[in-house]
Amino acid sequence: MSILQWIYGVLSFLGHDIGYALAYIIESIILVIFVSVMLIFMIYLFRKYMARVQQRIGPNRVGKFGSLQLIADALKLMGKEIIFPKERDDLPYKVAPFIVFFGLVLAFAFLPYGNLSIFGNLTVTYSDVSIIFIFAILAIMPIGEVLAGIGSHNKYALMGALRTVAKDVSFEVPMMLSVLAIVVMASARTPTSLSLESVVTTEILPYGILEPIGLLVFFIAMVARASYSPFDMGESDSELVSGYSTEYTGMRFALFYIGLFGTIFLGSLLIALLYIGGFNGPFSSQVGFIWLIVKGLILVLISFTIWLSMPRIRIDRLVNTGWKYLLPISFINLVLAGVLTLGLGW
Amino acid sequence: MSDPWIELNIGPQHPSMHGVLRLKAKLDGEIIKELEPVIGYLHRNAEKLCEMGYYCDNLVYFDRMDYVGAMNMEVGYLEAAEKILGVPPPDRAKWIRVIIAELSRIAAHLVWAGAYGLDLGMLTPFFYCFAEREKILTIFTEACGSRQETNYMSIGGVYQDFNDKIIEEIKDFLATFPKKLEEIYNLYVKNDVFLSRTKGIGVLSKEVAISYGVTGPMLRASGVEYDVRKAEPYLFYDKVNFEIPISHKGDNLARFLVRFEEMRQSLKIIKQGLEKLPEGPYFNPKAKKSMMIRMRGEGEYYARTESSKGEFGVYIVADGGVKPYRVRVRSPTFKNLSILPVLSKDVMLADMIAISGSIDLVFGEIDR
Repeated sequence: MSILQWIYGVLSFLGHDIGYALAYIIESIILVIFVSVMLIFMIYLFRKYMARVQQRIGPNRVGKFGSLQLIADALKLMGKEIIFPKERDDLPYKVAPFIVFFGLVLAFAFLPYGNLSIFGNLTVTYSDVSIIFIFAILAIMPIGEVLAGIGSHNKYALMGALRTVAKDVSFEVPMMLSVLAIVVMASARTPTSLSLESVVTTEILPYGILEPIGLLVFFIAMVARASYSPFDMGESDSELVSGYSTEYTGMRFALFYIGLFGTIFLGSLLIALLYIGGFNGPFSSQVGFIWLIVKGLILVLISFTIWLSMPRIRIDRLVNTGWKYLLPISFINLVLAGVLTLGLGW
Repeated sequence: MSDPWIELNIGPQHPSMHGVLRLKAKLDGEIIKELEPVIGYLHRNAEKLCEMGYYCDNLVYFDRMDYVGAMNMEVGYLEAAEKILGVPPPDRAKWIRVIIAELSRIAAHLVWAGAYGLDLGMLTPFFYCFAEREKILTIFTEACGSRQETNYMSIGGVYQDFNDKIIEEIKDFLATFPKKLEEIYNLYVKNDVFLSRTKGIGVLSKEVAISYGVTGPMLRASGVEYDVRKAEPYLFYDKVNFEIPISHKGDNLARFLVRFEEMRQSLKIIKQGLEKLPEGPYFNPKAKKSMMIRMRGEGEYYARTESSKGEFGVYIVADGGVKPYRVRVRSPTFKNLSILPVLSKDVMLADMIAISGSIDLVFGEIDR
C-alpha cells in the first residue's frame, strides 16, 4: 500500500485510467509542496541556527519568532525588478536556474520515504535503478550552474562556473565509488541492489558502521556538491562577488539560493538513507518517514555547523583533496566492500 | 599579439575590498600575473579642508580617516597641533588619552580580525569580534556621546573628564575581554583550513618591508622591532611596561598573531593607565572654549604616532594665523598597500584576497 494507491482509493469512482492519472498528478503536487515547505523550514532553521551560533537573535520581526520571514523574503524577491545583463547569452542565462531547481525536485521524487501510519509507504516513484537515477540527476544540477556562469557574460560568473566544474568533477568520482561500495554489499542480500528502497530495507546493520570510510568520503563529497563552506567554490563570495549567480536578480536568484539549501537537504537524506539506516528504527513500519526526516535534519544541522565554522579552502587544494586523497580512499573502500561481501559473506 | 591574460577589474564595489579599493588584475587562469591598485574613490580632500578650519575644528577630519580606530587619529593630530599652539595637555588628560587610544587600537584590531575571517569565507568570528567591539564603543559613548567618529579629544586636553562609570566599564571590559579574546583566537588558529590559508602565504621579507616604508603590525610581523610608542615615546608610553610583539615569519599568519598579541599588550597598557591615572584638571586652561578659535601658532611640526595600522604622521606648517597653513598626513595604510602588488605576484586569486585582508586596509585613511 503506497500513497499512490491511497489517493487512488479515494478517486477510484472515476475509473482506472482517469483515477490513476489524477492520483499521479496529485502526488506530484504533494511532492512539490513537501519539498518547498521543507526548504522554507530549512532556510528558517538555518537563519535561526546561524544567529544562535553567532550570538545574534535572527529573524524575529515577521510573524511569531520570525516564522513568516521567509515568506516575506520570497514576496520581496518576486517584487524586485529583474535586471538582465545586456550582453547575456539569452537562452542559457534564462534556463539555468530552472535546471538547478527542477533537477532538485526531480531527485526528491526517487527517494524512498518509508511508512507513515495510515498513508502507508510515502515513496513517490518506485524504480529498480533509483540509485543510478538519483545520482544522474545530481549530475545535471551543476550543468545549470555552469550555464549560468557562461550565459551571464561576466568574468566573475565565468570563473565561478569554472570553479564549480573543477569541484564537481573531482568529487563526483569518489562519491559514486563510495555509493558503489554499498551497492556491492547490498548485492549479497537483494537482487535489486541498485534500488535505494531495497538497499535500505534489506540492511542488517546501518552501512555507516560497516563502511565508515565510505560515509566519510560521501559526506565530504556531499559538502562539495551542495557547495557550502569550506567548499563553496561556486559562490566564493569574498573573491568572485557571488560566483555564477552574480548577475541574477529576483526569483531567478532565489532559485539558486533554494537550490543550495535543497542540495544540503537532499544530501542529508541520502546520507541518512545510505549510511545510517534511513527510515529504519523502532516502530519503523508505522513512522519510518519521521525517522528519516529526523535523521536528515540532524545531518542538516551538522552541515550548518561545518558551514558556519570553516573558511573557504583554496581551489587547488580542493582539487587535490578530491583526486589525491578521496579517490584512492574510496577505491580502497570499494575493494574492502567486495572482500567483506564475497570473502566473509556479510 | 594580443594579451593572453584575462583582465579582471576587482572593485571598487566588491565584497572584500574593504571599502573602495579597486584592483586591476591580469590573471592567467586563477593566478595573478599583474596587479595594480587604484585608489582615490573615497577622496574627501581632508588635508586641504584643514587649511580652512580653525585648529580645534580640524580634529573631525582626523576622526574620519581611520574610522575604525578614530581615537588614534585624534592623538596623532593633537600631538602636532598642541606643539604648534603651545598648549600641552595636563597629566590626567595624557593618561586618559593613552587609555582611550589603546581601547581604540583594540577596537580597530577587532574589526580587522572579524573582517579577515570574512575575507577567508569564515562568517562566524566576525560577530564575536563585533560583540566585543561593541563594549568598547559603549565606553566611548559614555565618554563623549558618540561611537565611531568620536571627536573626544580636544586641543589641550579632552572634551569630558572620566567619571566613575567609565572607569567601572573599562574595568569590566578588562576583566571579561581576555577570555573572549582567547575564544576568538582559538576560533581561528585551531582551524586547519584557516592555517592552510595563512601559513606561508604572502611572505614579506624584512628588506622589502623596509624599502617600501611598511610600518605597524605588518613590519613587526616581518621581524623588525619598530614601534613609535617605544622608539619615540609620545604621551606617557615611556612610563608603561609593554612589549612589542614581533615575528620573523612575515606571512599572513604572522601578521595575524602579531595583531592578537598587540591586543593583549594594549590590555596591559590600559590596566597600568588606570592605576596611574592622577587627579587634576583634564584640560589646559589656556585652551578654554572661548579661546579655541583665537589660538595662533607659528612654525612647523611633524608628529608621529603609532596608530593601529602603523606609523601615522601629521605635519603641520603654521604661519601665525588662526588656521594652519598646510597640513600633511603620512598615512600608514597607504604605504602598506603599496606592498600588495609585490606580494600578489604569481599567487592565486584567493591568496591575493587573503593578503590584501592581512594588510588591514581602511580607506578613509588611504584616500583622506
